[in-house]
Amino acid sequence: MTTVPTPGAGDPGPEVTPLIAAPLGGRRRRPSGEPPPLPRRVDHSTRWYLLLGAVAVALWGGMSVPLVLGAITQADLAVLHAVAALRSAWLTHVMRGFDAMSSPWVVRVVGWGTIAALVALRRFRHLAVYLIAFLAVGLLATIVAAGLGRMRPAGIQILGTWQGYAQPARPVAVLALVLVGAIYTLAPAGGWRNRAKWAAAVILGLVCASRLYLAVDHPTDQVTALILGWALAVVVFRMAVPNDVFPISYRGGRKAHLDIGGRRGEAIVRALDQQLGLHVTAVEPFGLESSAGSTPLRIDVHLRIQNDGQHATLFGKLYALNHLRSDRWYKLARTVLYGRLEDEKPFSTVRRLVEYEDHMLRLMRDAGLPTPRPYGFAEITPEREYLIVMEFFQDARELRNVPVDARVIDDALRVVRRMWDAGIAHRDLKPSNILLRNDSVLLIDVAFAAIRPTPWRQAVDLANMMLTLALASTPEVVYAQALRFFAAGDVAEAFAACKSITVPSQLRSLIRADGRDLIGRFRELAPARRPVPIQLWDLQRIRITVTLVVSLVLAVALFAAFVRVAGLL
Amino acid sequence: MRRLRTRGRIRLAAALAAVICAAAAALTGCGSLDGTVPSCDDPLKLAIIAQSVSGASYVPCIGELPEGWSTSGFDPASGGTSFTLDSDRSPGRPVTVRLSAGCATGGASPSPPRAPGVLSYTRLTSISPRFAGTLYDVFPGGCVSYQFDFTLGEHIALMEQFQSAVGLYPVQQLRLVLKQKLGVEISP
Repeated sequence: MTTVPTPGAGDPGPEVTPLIAAPLGGRRRRPSGEPPPLPRRVDHSTRWYLLLGAVAVALWGGMSVPLVLGAITQADLAVLHAVAALRSAWLTHVMRGFDAMSSPWVVRVVGWGTIAALVALRRFRHLAVYLIAFLAVGLLATIVAAGLGRMRPAGIQILGTWQGYAQPARPVAVLALVLVGAIYTLAPAGGWRNRAKWAAAVILGLVCASRLYLAVDHPTDQVTALILGWALAVVVFRMAVPNDVFPISYRGGRKAHLDIGGRRGEAIVRALDQQLGLHVTAVEPFGLESSAGSTPLRIDVHLRIQNDGQHATLFGKLYALNHLRSDRWYKLARTVLYGRLEDEKPFSTVRRLVEYEDHMLRLMRDAGLPTPRPYGFAEITPEREYLIVMEFFQDARELRNVPVDARVIDDALRVVRRMWDAGIAHRDLKPSNILLRNDSVLLIDVAFAAIRPTPWRQAVDLANMMLTLALASTPEVVYAQALRFFAAGDVAEAFAACKSITVPSQLRSLIRADGRDLIGRFRELAPARRPVPIQLWDLQRIRITVTLVVSLVLAVALFAAFVRVAGLL
Repeated sequence: MRRLRTRGRIRLAAALAAVICAAAAALTGCGSLDGTVPSCDDPLKLAIIAQSVSGASYVPCIGELPEGWSTSGFDPASGGTSFTLDSDRSPGRPVTVRLSAGCATGGASPSPPRAPGVLSYTRLTSISPRFAGTLYDVFPGGCVSYQFDFTLGEHIALMEQFQSAVGLYPVQQLRLVLKQKLGVEISP
C-alpha cells in the first residue's frame, strides 16, 4: 500500500549521558531470606485480632461440651448477677435507650448508607469486600448459633427484648460489622479513622453494657460477637483493601496514585540504591493529573562515580496491584464493548507489566525512536510493587503548550513513519504523551505500545498524531506534510479507522473544545474510503461476555444473600 | 515459581469457595440456618423456647419428621416462638406453629388432648375446596397453635403427619435437665 519511500533514520532525539554506575561498594544482591525493601507487613494489632479469632473458636469448642458450657455459663451468670445488683428504674430506662442503638433499623440505616456511599464514590472493590465480609460474618454467626443453640441468661430477669439464640450476640456482631465496614471503607486512614474508631468503640461499649445490664446476653456472647464483628472484619478489610494500596481519600486525586511517603518512600530509596545503584536525594509525585495507570515520580539522584558531586533527575513509574487490576478491567471492558481491537491480553502480574514496559523502552530506543532511555526497574514488594526508572525529559513541554511549525510537524510525522517501519504502535498518542524539546519531538508513556500491531492500530496512531498536530495548526498543513511520509491511501485509511473510541479521551476533549471538525476535514482532504468497522465478534468476545453476564448474576445472588443474612430488609 | 503457582491456586480456591458459598446461600437459603427447629432429643436447645414464654408448662419440639416434611423459619424471641413445617405435598402452604402465652380459642371445638394436662381445640375456617383452620394445644402458662391449609383429600394424612411431627416437651423435665447439666434454673 505504501508508495512513499522510507526516509532516513535521522536524529532520534537528544542522546542521554549514561548515568548508572555501580556504587563504591557495588550493587547489593539481596541474600535469600532477607526481606524485600517493602515487605508485606502484618502488624501487631492484626496478629492480636487473629489470636482473638482463635479464642472465639476455642470458646465455641468448649461450649459444645455440656460440662464446659455449664462452667462458662456459671461464670457468665456471676457477672450478670453482679451487674443486676446495680438495677434501678431510671437506669433501666437509660439502658433500654442505649440498647436501641443495636436495633435492626440502626443497622439498616448504617448498612445501606455505606453501600450507597460506596456506589456513589465508585469504590467497588471496597463494596465487594464489605458485602463479602458481611456475608461471611453473617453466615458464620448463623451457623454457630444454630450449632450451639445457647439459651439466654437463666435465673435472672431479662429486662430487654431478644430474638434468636444467645451465642454469639448477633445484634452486637452486626452493629460492630456495619461500624467497622463504614470506618474501613469511608474514613481516610489517620486522624479521621482513629476518631471514628473511638466513636464506634464508645457506641459498642454502651450497647454491650446495656445488654448486660438488661441480661439479654451473656458476657461471652458479646465477646465472640465483638471478635466476629470487629476483630475478624478488621482483618478482612486490612488484607483485602490495605490502605497503602487502596487508600481512601477525598482530595480529588486519582485513586491509582499511591502514597509515596512513610515506609514506601524509604523502601523506594533503598531499592533504587541497592538494585540500580542510584543514590536518591529526593522522590516526589510528578504529573499526576495526566496519569491514571501508575504513580509517576520525579527522582533526583546524586551521581556518585562518573560525575561526582553532580545531580541528575530521572522519571519513575510505580506500579502496584491496583494498576494491574485497572488494566485488566479496562481491557475486559474494551473486549466486551468492541471485540478484540488488537492483542489486548491483560498482564498476569505486576512484574510482567513492568518487564514489558522496560522491554518496550529498550526496543523503541533500538529502533531509533525518541523515547526515554530506560534505566531498568526495582522491586519494591515482590509480585506486588515495582518501580520502573527512565530518563526524565528535562525542559521538554507538551505539544499542546508550544507553537507548532512545519519542522515540528515534519518531525512528529517522521516519528510515526519510523514506528510503522519498525513494526511498532504506540497506541496512546495524545498531546500529553508527545513532548517537544529544542524542536525535536519526544514520545513518552510507551506502556501500551505493541510490536507487530494490526494495520488498523498503526492507522489509528497516524490519525491521532495528525489530530494532535492539527490542534496546534491546520488540517490542511498537517495533511500536506503527511504526504511526505505516507501515501494518500494511508491517510485515508487512518481516518477511516478513526472513531470516537480510537481517540484518547484527552485528545477527544481537546478536539471538542477546539470546535473545528478536524476529523471531518481530514476525511475531505484524503481520498474517499469506507470506514473500517471496529465491532468484531468472535468466540473470545462471546465467551467473555457470557462469563461476565454469569458473574453479574452471581454478584446479584451474592447481594441478595447478603441482604437476607445481614437482615437489611 | 512454585510458590507463586501455589499462591495463585490458593487465591483461585478462595475465590471459588466464596462464590460457591454465596451462590449456595442465595439459592438454597442456607443463610437462615436458624430455621433448624430443635429436636425433642436435644433439651439444651429447647431452653430458649421455654424462655420465650416463661411460665409455659410445655414447649413444642420436633419429634420425628415424616418423609417429605421439613422445618424452617425457627424464630425464638421474647414473647413467643414460631416456626413452620413444610410438606412436599402442600407446597407453598406450610403449617405455622406458634408458642405464645395464650390463645383465643373461642368458637373452637375440643379435640382429643395430645399430652397430659393439655386441652386441644380445632377451629376450621374452610372445609372445601381447602381444609384450613387452626389447632390449639392449651396448657398452663401457654398455648401452641398450628395454622394449616391443605388440599381436601390430602388433608387426612397431612393432619396426622404434622401432629406426629411436633411433640410437646414438659418444661418441668427441661428444668431438671438444665439443672443437672448446666446447673442453671430457667426462671428467676
